[in-house]
Amino acid sequence: MISAGIDIGSITAKCVILQGDKILAYSILRVKPNLEESAREIFEKTLELAGLSKEEVDSIVATGYGRGRVDFANKKITEISCHAIGSHFLIPDVGTVIDIGGQDSKVIAVENGKVLDFVMNDKCAAGTGRFIEVMANALGLKIEQIGELALRATERLKISSTCTVFAESEVVSYLSAGKKVEEIIAGVCDAIAGRLIAMASRVGIRREVVLTGGVAKNLGVRRAIEEKIGFGVKVPPEPQIVGALGAAVLGSG
Amino acid sequence: MKVGYLCTFTPKEIIYSAGFQPFRVFATERPIELASAYIQSYSCSQARGALECALKDDFYAFVFTRCCDTLMRLTDIFEFAGKRVYNIEFPTKIGNVEYYLRELKDFVEVLRDWGGEVSFESLVESLKLYRELEEGLKQLFSVFPDYETAIKVQQIDVKDAIKLVDEKLKSAKKEKESPKVLITGSVCPYPKIYDLFREAGFSIKDDLCTGSRFFEYIYPTFEPEDLEGALRFIAEKYFYKSPCPTKHYESDRRFEYVIKLAEDCDAVVFLLVKFCEPHFFDYPQLKSELEKMGKKVALIELEFPVVSTEQIRTRIEALREVIL
Ligand SMILES: Nc1ncnc2c1ncn2[C@@H]1O[C@H](COP(=O)(O)OP(=O)(O)OP(=O)(O)O)[C@@H](O)[C@H]1O
Ligand SMILES: [Mg+2]
Repeated sequence: MISAGIDIGSITAKCVILQGDKILAYSILRVKPNLEESAREIFEKTLELAGLSKEEVDSIVATGYGRGRVDFANKKITEISCHAIGSHFLIPDVGTVIDIGGQDSKVIAVENGKVLDFVMNDKCAAGTGRFIEVMANALGLKIEQIGELALRATERLKISSTCTVFAESEVVSYLSAGKKVEEIIAGVCDAIAGRLIAMASRVGIRREVVLTGGVAKNLGVRRAIEEKIGFGVKVPPEPQIVGALGAAVLGSG
Repeated sequence: MKVGYLCTFTPKEIIYSAGFQPFRVFATERPIELASAYIQSYSCSQARGALECALKDDFYAFVFTRCCDTLMRLTDIFEFAGKRVYNIEFPTKIGNVEYYLRELKDFVEVLRDWGGEVSFESLVESLKLYRELEEGLKQLFSVFPDYETAIKVQQIDVKDAIKLVDEKLKSAKKEKESPKVLITGSVCPYPKIYDLFREAGFSIKDDLCTGSRFFEYIYPTFEPEDLEGALRFIAEKYFYKSPCPTKHYESDRRFEYVIKLAEDCDAVVFLLVKFCEPHFFDYPQLKSELEKMGKKVALIELEFPVVSTEQIRTRIEALREVIL
């Protein structure tokens, strides 16, 4: 049985091809405005990596906010369920999943891979990957550099605006006040973690806590979350594909 | 001539009997522009949207009934913006009919000043028509909860409204029974939001001012014999209307009402307008009561006009997956 999971998020498209409990291949691409095209592209690329043809794939499950646009999928499931299942597949004793994507962040209470409860952030970008991207842009940094830089800071500045647009001007004014970039960045990561933990307290935080989504790769955010909850979190080797993995697991029956 | 009103506790029967067209004002699809000069963006968007309508559309006057704090202050803002406004002091604590009767008598005088005469005959006729509409909607909702119709009838002549409901009833198809979700909250004047629930596979039941709270009443059993009697009938009709969190009842009527509605539902969604204090104050306690009953509970916050339906869709579909 070979199954594929396709996660069309607000920023990236992800695909995982699974056989039994073995990941044959995966890939991540930035989404294009045409979601159907993004879905086909990510699927074909991953097939190529796995050395498979379309016909060899038995089931395709779509997830992510563009799930309705994957016309060749057999089934669509929300990313809430998929992140829970994907996390459970990798870390069986997961109790809480924190998925920080580009547009949404979600906290999901899980038991044996089943969703008990969940909360999502509101439509604004504060507390999401987009927020960090805007701040990185304002500082002229690449998104991949952010985490390491934040860890180097000895002091953290406070970013108190809840709105992305205002927070950006806060960052700019810190810059003009001559503050160090890493201290500002550490403040940005702290702000993200703070919002998440406030949200998470609505469903409760139970061990193990698994971080998923692209922002889980940001070491600054990870550290800030760990400090706030008081214990270590688990991050899968490629946290950004956990939703797609969950979809593939669901498709495998 | 249109007389706008916002709250389902407004005695629209009296407005209609005076020859005006009662028109329930909701936030629309239009973005909020003019209203921003009067109300901050961190307040209820139903209030902001209603003010936007008041500033852009043609109304003779507006009638408020004492409700939440935001609507009370909205009365002042409407006045400040130069609108003709009357505020009926609906008692916050339900019980004293004599007091409310005096309020209604004053209101009849106000309508007379506005050029509308309320007679015993016209009021009884109006009561009859609205009751026919309410019974019709109740029937329609027992087959298929049709929110588009429930919203529309609040903005047209009651006689046309009765005809519309009749037509809808003829073609209504019974909704499948499960899984069923109870949607509770204040107003949601966008039919597309209810569609999201159906598209996710839910059948719907509601406790909303744009749904059953518009037509669920326990009617008084006496026949009015004079104008005062008819006004007394209205006072009692609205006292025993489906309860709302802005009112105080002797018993725990509001919670009991919601809990009863939830009994045959698989999940309960609090569909709340951001910054809606009365509903948010009740939310934690009501949520835990419902969870004790074994219901899955989700909170969805709305801001009008609703723009990002896809995020709402994800929440609803995820809830559906959770109860599977
Ligand atoms: N190497 C990296 N280091 C740090 N952060 C990263 C890295 N790669 C991606 N990100 C962050 O991940 C975000 C995208 O995450 P992801 O791909 O999970 O989002 P998505 O699934 O498209 O969005 P959503 O789930 O909200 O619809 C980016 O905004 C960026 O902030
Ligand atoms: Mg995602």
